[in-house]
Amino acid sequence: MAGLADLSLVQAADAVASGEATSLDLLHACWANLDAVNPQVNAVIWQEREAAEIAARAADAAVQNKKPLGLLHGVPMAHKDMYYQAGKLSTCGSALRKDYRPTVTATVIERLSAAGAFTFAGLNMAEFAQNPTGHNKTFGNCHNPWNLPYITGGSSSGSGASVAARFNYMALGSDTGGSIRLPASACGVTGLKPTQTRVSRFGVMPLSFSHDNVGPLARTARDCARVLTVIAGHDSRDPTSSREPVPSYEAAMNDDLRGLRIGVPANVFLDGADEPVIAAIEAALQVLVARGATVSRFDLPLMDAVATYGSIVSRAEAAPIHAEWMRSDPQAYGAHISGRMYPGYAIPAAYYIEALSRRGPVLKAFAAEVFARVDVLVTPTIRTCLPTLDATDIDHGPPGTEHRFMAVSANTRPFNYLGLPAISVPCGFDPNGCPIGLQIAGRPFGEGRILQVAGAYQTDTDWHKARPPILEIAA
Amino acid sequence: MGAFETSIEATISRWFGIDPPNDPGRRLAAELAGTIEAFEALRGTLVFEDEPSSFEAALQATKEAV
Repeated sequence: MAGLADLSLVQAADAVASGEATSLDLLHACWANLDAVNPQVNAVIWQEREAAEIAARAADAAVQNKKPLGLLHGVPMAHKDMYYQAGKLSTCGSALRKDYRPTVTATVIERLSAAGAFTFAGLNMAEFAQNPTGHNKTFGNCHNPWNLPYITGGSSSGSGASVAARFNYMALGSDTGGSIRLPASACGVTGLKPTQTRVSRFGVMPLSFSHDNVGPLARTARDCARVLTVIAGHDSRDPTSSREPVPSYEAAMNDDLRGLRIGVPANVFLDGADEPVIAAIEAALQVLVARGATVSRFDLPLMDAVATYGSIVSRAEAAPIHAEWMRSDPQAYGAHISGRMYPGYAIPAAYYIEALSRRGPVLKAFAAEVFARVDVLVTPTIRTCLPTLDATDIDHGPPGTEHRFMAVSANTRPFNYLGLPAISVPCGFDPNGCPIGLQIAGRPFGEGRILQVAGAYQTDTDWHKARPPILEIAA
Repeated sequence: MGAFETSIEATISRWFGIDPPNDPGRRLAAELAGTIEAFEALRGTLVFEDEPSSFEAALQATKEAV
C-alpha cells in the first residue's frame, strides 16, 4: 500500500513545510519499509536511529515555530557509505575501512544539512566504488528489490536499492564510470551525474579524481533538480569545483519540448542491445516526440578515443590510491576489485598524461560535431536486460565473467571521460521484471536541459512511480 | 604464461612491489596488450590545433548557452 514513504523528495519536503506531515512521520514510514525489506535487499549497512529521531523532532519544532526552512527541510536521507561525516563511520564498502571514522565532513553533506535534510544510515556500495554490479565481499551483495537474484547496478548499489524500496527519499551516489546512472537504471529510480566539476568532492572518498562525480538518486527528475540546486557550486576546499553560477534547476523545468533536437547514437550504444531494451527506448522516444522533439540518428565521433583514453585515466588514477593496501593486504579486497586494479600499475605515465591531455581537445571536437546537430543524446543506460549477481560474479565465476561484468557500464563510461552531464530515468521493465533506464546526456553545464527533458518524460509516464512487488509481499 | 604477461608482472613487482593478487588480476593484466593496441591505433588519427589545452577550458568553451 502506498503511503508517506512513496512520496517523492519534493513532495516529502513540501509536506513537512506545509505541516501536512511531520519529519518524524516520514522517518518512521521509511523505517517500516527498511525493517520489512532490508534483510533481503541489504541496502543499509549501518543506522543511527536515535540521532535521526532527534533531528526529525528538531525539524518538526522548527516548522511549528515558523522558523525559516530550507529546500530539504525535515527530509530523512541515507547515502552511499563514502560521504565523510566527522566522527561517524564511513566504511567505503571495504573491510579495509570497516572502522574508519573521518575527521572532516563532506561539503555536500554540509550543504544538504544546511538545507534541512538529515542522515540516518550508511548504504551498501561496491567496495571502494569499484564495480558496476553491487557485489560486496565484506558487507554482502546488494540485491535488486525488483528481483532479488539480479544486480542492483553499482557502484552506488545501496543508493539505488534503498530509494527503490522506499527506505529514503534521496541518496547520494558517486559516478566515475556510471555508478549513479547504473543503479538508477537497474533499480527503477532517477539518477543524475552532473557535469565534471559541477559539485564539490571535498570529503568524498576518491577513486579517479578526473572522473569522479557526486550526484543524487531519487524518485523523480524534479527531486534531482532540487538536490542539485542545493549541492552544486564552487567550494574553496575543492579547487577543482567550478565557479559556474548555479541556477534554480527546478525553476527551469517545464514540459515544452518543442524544437528540442534529440540525437540517438547509431554506433556503439546499441551494439549487442537486447530487444526489450531497444523497444523501451523507442517507446520513450515517441513520448518525447509527442511533446515536440525531433529525433535524428547518426554515428558519434571519437568513440574509440573516448573509450581508450577513459579506460587509461580511470585505471591509472585508482592504482596509486590503493598501492599500500595492494602491497600489504591484497586479499582483503574482493578478487574482482584487486584483480581489476592490478593492471593499472602497469600503465605508463606517458600514456596516462597523453590520455589526460587529450581530454579537452576530444571534448571540444566531440561537442562541435554532435551539439551542432542535436541538443541532447538519448541511449539506453544499460543496453542489455539485467544480468544476475551469479552471472557477473568474478570472484567465483569462470574466466570471461569479467567481460559480462564490464559490459554493464559500456553505455555510461563515455560520458565520464567527456565530462558531460547525464541522467537515467526509468522507462520500462525487462522480461525478468527488472527496470530499464533511459539515459539522457547534454552539453557541459546543461543539467537544466536534461532535467527538463527527463521531467517532461515523467509527466507523461508512470514508470518512476512503480513500486517493487517485494513491498507488497512484506506488507 | 607468455612473455608479455611475464614482463607486465615483473614491471609491477619492480615498480610497486605488488604481486598478482589472483587469477582475474593475471587475466586482466594480460588484456593490457589490447589496451596498448587500441592506444597505438589512435596515433596519427587525431589532430587538434590547440593541443594541449585544459579540460576545464573545454567545458567552458562547449557549455550550454544560458
